[in-house]
Amino acid sequence: MHKEAAIRTPLILGNKSYHDITSDVIGPIENKAPTGWYVLITIAGLISLWGIGCILYLISTGIGVWGLNKTVGWAWDITNFVWWVGIGHAGTLISAVLLLFRQKWRMAINRSAEAMTIFAVMMAAVFPGIHMGRIWLAYFVFPLPNQFGSLWVNFNSPLLWDVFAISTYFSVSLVFWYIGLIPDFATIRDRMTKPLTKKIYGMLSFGWSGKAKQWSRFEEVSLVLAGLATPLVFSVHSIVSMDFATSVIPGWHTTIFPPYFVSGAVFSGFAMVLTLLLVMRKVMKLENYITRKHVEYMNIVIIVTGSIVGVAYLTELFISWYSGVEYESYAFINRFSGPYFWAYWIMMTCNVVTPQLFWFKKIRTNFILTFILSIVVNIGMWFERFVIIVTSLHRDYVPSSWSMFHPTWVDIGVFIGTIGIFFFLFLLFARFFPVLALNELKSILRVSGEENKKENH
Amino acid sequence: MAENKKYWVGIEDLHQTEEFQKASQNEFAPGAQSVDEFITETDLSKTSTNRRDFLKFLGFSVTAATVAACETPVIHSVPYLNKPEQITAGIPTYYASTFFDGFDFASIVVKTREGRPIFLKGNNKHGINQGALTARVNSSVLSLYDGKRLKGPKMVGDDATWPEMDSALKSELRGVSESGKSIVLLTGSIISPSTQKAIKEFKTAFGEEKVKVVTYDPVSRYGIRKANEMSFGKSSIPDYDFSKAKTIVSVDADFMDNWLLHNQYVPQYAKNRNPQGEWMNKHYQFESRLSLTGSNADVRVPIMPSQEGAVVLAIYNQVAKLAGSSSMSGSTDGLPEAGIANAAKDLYANRGKSLFICGSNDPNVQVVANAINTTLGNYGSTISTDVETFINQGNDEEVMQLVADMNSGSVGALLIHGDINPAYSLPNSAAFISGMSKVGVTLSFARLADETAVHCKYICPDNHYLESWNDFYPKTGHSALAQPTISRLYNTRQFQESLLTWAGNTTSYHDYIRSVWQDYSASIGDASILFDDFWFNAVRNGSVSVKVPSADWSMQVSSDVLSSASGKINGVSAGGSDTFEVVLYTKVGIGNGSHATNPWLQELPDPISKITWDNYIAMNPVDVEAFGFNMHIGEQLPASLAKITVNGMSETLPVVAQPGQKKGTVSIALGYGRGAGQEEIGRAAYRTKPSGGYEKNENDLKVVIGKNLYPFVAVANGVMSYKLTGANIEAAGMVYPMASTQTHHTLMGRDSIVRETTFSTFKSSPKEVYNPAHKLVVREEGIATLKDVDDVDIWEAHPVKGVGHRWGMSIDLSTCIGCSACVTACHSENNVPVVGKDEIRRARDMHWMRIDRYYSSDMTVEKGAELDEGIIDTYREMEVPEYENPTTVFMPMMCQHCNHAPCETVCPVAATTHSNEGLNQMTYNRCIGTRYCANNCPFKVRRFNWFNYKAYDKFADVNPAQDATARMVLNPDVTVRSRGVMEKCSMCVQRIQSGKLDAKMKGEPVQDGTIVTACAEACPTNAISFGDLNDTKSEISGDEGDNRTYHALAEIGVKPNVSYKVKVRNT
Repeated sequence: MHKEAAIRTPLILGNKSYHDITSDVIGPIENKAPTGWYVLITIAGLISLWGIGCILYLISTGIGVWGLNKTVGWAWDITNFVWWVGIGHAGTLISAVLLLFRQKWRMAINRSAEAMTIFAVMMAAVFPGIHMGRIWLAYFVFPLPNQFGSLWVNFNSPLLWDVFAISTYFSVSLVFWYIGLIPDFATIRDRMTKPLTKKIYGMLSFGWSGKAKQWSRFEEVSLVLAGLATPLVFSVHSIVSMDFATSVIPGWHTTIFPPYFVSGAVFSGFAMVLTLLLVMRKVMKLENYITRKHVEYMNIVIIVTGSIVGVAYLTELFISWYSGVEYESYAFINRFSGPYFWAYWIMMTCNVVTPQLFWFKKIRTNFILTFILSIVVNIGMWFERFVIIVTSLHRDYVPSSWSMFHPTWVDIGVFIGTIGIFFFLFLLFARFFPVLALNELKSILRVSGEENKKENH
Repeated sequence: MAENKKYWVGIEDLHQTEEFQKASQNEFAPGAQSVDEFITETDLSKTSTNRRDFLKFLGFSVTAATVAACETPVIHSVPYLNKPEQITAGIPTYYASTFFDGFDFASIVVKTREGRPIFLKGNNKHGINQGALTARVNSSVLSLYDGKRLKGPKMVGDDATWPEMDSALKSELRGVSESGKSIVLLTGSIISPSTQKAIKEFKTAFGEEKVKVVTYDPVSRYGIRKANEMSFGKSSIPDYDFSKAKTIVSVDADFMDNWLLHNQYVPQYAKNRNPQGEWMNKHYQFESRLSLTGSNADVRVPIMPSQEGAVVLAIYNQVAKLAGSSSMSGSTDGLPEAGIANAAKDLYANRGKSLFICGSNDPNVQVVANAINTTLGNYGSTISTDVETFINQGNDEEVMQLVADMNSGSVGALLIHGDINPAYSLPNSAAFISGMSKVGVTLSFARLADETAVHCKYICPDNHYLESWNDFYPKTGHSALAQPTISRLYNTRQFQESLLTWAGNTTSYHDYIRSVWQDYSASIGDASILFDDFWFNAVRNGSVSVKVPSADWSMQVSSDVLSSASGKINGVSAGGSDTFEVVLYTKVGIGNGSHATNPWLQELPDPISKITWDNYIAMNPVDVEAFGFNMHIGEQLPASLAKITVNGMSETLPVVAQPGQKKGTVSIALGYGRGAGQEEIGRAAYRTKPSGGYEKNENDLKVVIGKNLYPFVAVANGVMSYKLTGANIEAAGMVYPMASTQTHHTLMGRDSIVRETTFSTFKSSPKEVYNPAHKLVVREEGIATLKDVDDVDIWEAHPVKGVGHRWGMSIDLSTCIGCSACVTACHSENNVPVVGKDEIRRARDMHWMRIDRYYSSDMTVEKGAELDEGIIDTYREMEVPEYENPTTVFMPMMCQHCNHAPCETVCPVAATTHSNEGLNQMTYNRCIGTRYCANNCPFKVRRFNWFNYKAYDKFADVNPAQDATARMVLNPDVTVRSRGVMEKCSMCVQRIQSGKLDAKMKGEPVQDGTIVTACAEACPTNAISFGDLNDTKSEISGDEGDNRTYHALAEIGVKPNVSYKVKVRNT
């Protein structure tokens, strides 16, 4: 029996030809950048410089320029760290997990999502570095041979696991991203006329010539790297969550953390991808590539992960009561009714209520609403980490040490600064790198081309 | 002739040989190459050094010179050329000495390293204080190194030499003595026999009747002496023995901190706070403010200051009724009847073994207090009839007379002892200062150019007490000696030596004291003891006690005296209803203000309010709410400023909500606001800005810390009164940041942190009632059983039990009075940085050990459930302390040295590890400062170096480590930590190490008690004991199995090496 699948909506709209794709993607690189780009990168650049200034002030003066105290030893620093790492997750999920699941719609978004991952992880990596009292001795965290013989790192410490997890994640993501870029760089090289640019792209493309053998190896490497990256999607945030889960502090000491953190990460990562792509598709005129369908798919992922996160919040509350542990139950009562209740309710509203709006098709297919809600989700996810870190610490076991955390201008400056650096890098990426995986995209053009099908008949 | 004398350069010159003449024509000696020849030499090109090589050599030399110049600075240590006997570099030497400043008396032991005193502890072998001292005493070592101390004598503002001073003063004093005006020596209580003798010589030299000695106590106890004169005909203070008292009733006497010989009373009191004994003393406290003593009372009754006399009288009447003697008329309106009745009943029940004391400076009230004790028959048992106390001799009437005399111009010379600072601390200091200008010769012996000294024509700076010889006779039969522990840092001279010099006696003061003691030893000792031996022992022990002969001091208060005194009490008015009554008191840290520039003491949190670096209006929270002032103080929660006006004087101070403060009253500490005239009284004397540097007011003057309330002290009937009525308080409409080390005040019902019970429960019930073990449900082979938390362990135990040493500490919450002497001792021993007010406000105090203070709350979880409150509201109400009269508990908290330390597992670089002796160690070199350990510490005892405290500008004026002189106080055995590293209590690991080495040198095991931590050493009540848990004979291993012993937060299984003992109250 012959069953023909229903004709699906094409993934690329607008009757594009191979050439159209190439010029749509490479056009912005070849042409002069619009004024808007210069304005944006100047703003981002200034914010970056401000952030770097704050970081230098922090390093030269001491951690005391932040608002931390004897009770709250981590606050915005680690909140930002976890937030950035979480954002990074979407890129890897899209490129690796969706590749393995043969979700071809990913091809329009994976390049920027991966770039976002790289930059987000870079921003994340700033914080464990600068939050150290003595960053100049940061190499102590690497198991390096030394003249002291038995002096070694502490393999029991989740912070050490973090070092390995983040560095592995960053290297694999970078390699994966770069491998994908090679054929596209080659295309750019071939189109460039200025000798210098040609030379630069030539070097970046590692001598790619588009032979069938190269394509075959490319596919194999992509698959292998996807296989490597997939467990990392789950391991990195699990390990980050263990910074808290393995501790003894009520509100941190929770076995639910690994899956809860991973889904939270995917949740915030997709939100960030949406924030970036909704702007990019408009500005770079990629409406035919990044379509309503993509947005809808991503919003569905947000509903799923957002709901997982919501269930996790409720589970935490339930367990804190069910455990009967005085400190545990107080930690959660304090979370939603104590001095930081506002942070908790911001988190609840943004992360649990907001994504439920995506059940409405009208909302999840509306670009503007999606854009607003994606930012709301990211605010919520930042507060989630703040709530976990600060409200657990500020009132733990011994009431005499209970205190409050008040951020200083340096706390805020460093955070804003990393956002600036992130956008600075992303703007550079959008200007000089192929923002879509153009060669990959060509592989889905025909399959979904309605026109093509008609011609054959 | 001399001009013809000819000099020749050689034999050839003399003989004028032909060769010589020829050679002398040539400018260059033969064989020497001329420059022309040299540069044109053709052989030059053949040399192996070519231009390139030359440049290479040049380059090398320049580089080498540069590199050599880059050498890191070398600090040379100079070895002793002649090693002093007994001093070995690196080995501390200890000297017995005595501290007395008119406020605290304590026999101390001074620890010196390489000739520098660095640590003070109580002398627990000799002396009346049995090793007890206050934070003020052990912090006084820092004042030795105050860089603002005068470097030499000053004459009219200019530096002078001692001979200049002596000749000038001799003639000045002679002139005054002949002029018919008087020479007045204004001093604090002089309890030194040698000083008294020196003063006598001075008197003889300048005219017996011309020289007058006026004794002045900044915080007066004159009322007691005066009352005793009225009652018993002798202006004296008897000796109290708290160890014999089964019932102690104190009406506003803060005998744990500042009342008479408090350092003697505290260990005596604590002796009977051990519930293991047959009985425990029962302590009633009637007071208006929550004092250190009141916070430790079994029964505390808040009263109005104006009711003080009426309360004493009511107690007398009740006691008299029970004793069957006649009672005095007195109103009992509004008095706490139940409290008075219970106190009186208990006093009478334990008559002869009870003690009634009163802190009032009103002689009439004190007369009634005497009557209570006579009625109870306490004289002869708890109050000695034989032993007199000689401290607090201040005579308010004479001081007031002196001010009048000065202003009338009848005083020709005024010599002011350095321990007192009347221009600051007199209520009528303005009159005093104006009087000084009418006195021809004014002289101060102050060590600093303080408020009084700057108005003096001459300043003859006295030595610091750690640089001086001195002797003391604090009470009958007890003599004490002070010896210098360092040679004079500056060109100062001892007060007594100055007096003697002017009197014409040039003996060194050491010899002088020796001769006085020679007479003394002859009078007390038997002749068979050589004086040299006697003296040697006295200096080594620091004190000598002899048996006291019975004195014929009749202790009966006649009914006439009593009725006249009680009649005057009735006249006390309670004041208007909308006004406040004020109590002026002294704080535990700052005392009467002489220590105000000591940064350790400024940073020491007040044991009750936990506020540092300020004085404030302490007000009942109900009143605070009524005014609408800020209730809570925190990092971003400043205090409201209020203007208090009383007797025509007003001052603006921040308001602190103080539970236990009697409603309608406020209390304000004296001793603050030093240096208002910009005097150079110490680096930590003024407010510093959050960014560092001194805060300046609109007139570009440095702003003092706190406010000076001495002008508020009332003088009634010639006696200073610290209780004021009719104060108006109004909002000043501004806020003021305050620095508190504790911003949450209740225990939230967490009885696994602090456990307490009552004496009767403790005596009648098994351990499970008052100290139940935590049980966990454990499932073994499918069967659920309850297991003691100590027997449950998911970790591998550290192999320290029974192997080698296992250091541990036991802290008895029953005897801890919260005095905080341990906090400053730890500060001093472990070079804990001082971080200043702004950092404390940001909750970044660096104290390695702290004393947590919790107030009781009206609400409990159980009560909330009963009332159907809902858990959220219940917890909210549990955060609120009882306002009216909370019970207070103190809990010393430091690193618990957990055997399953949460900090150790999380450090990524293994900078904090477990030693094989059970200590949780911190390796500063390895620490990278992630603060993960501090986050994961359930006790929150880890302290992070947020800044480079020893060099960062912000701390330049507060941290002694930034001052070249004050740095000498640092303990060389303890690293000064760098920025970015974590630190915490090490259990004085440096002491453990040296104790082990000592034992090893002796070839014997470490004896229990030879190693003591600084906190345990400082504890006046021995609430802290330290030792080896593996040593079965040690005190601490006995404590381990004690019924009262528990581990804080036992249920989380961290297995600390520090244990606590349940607090037992005798209610």
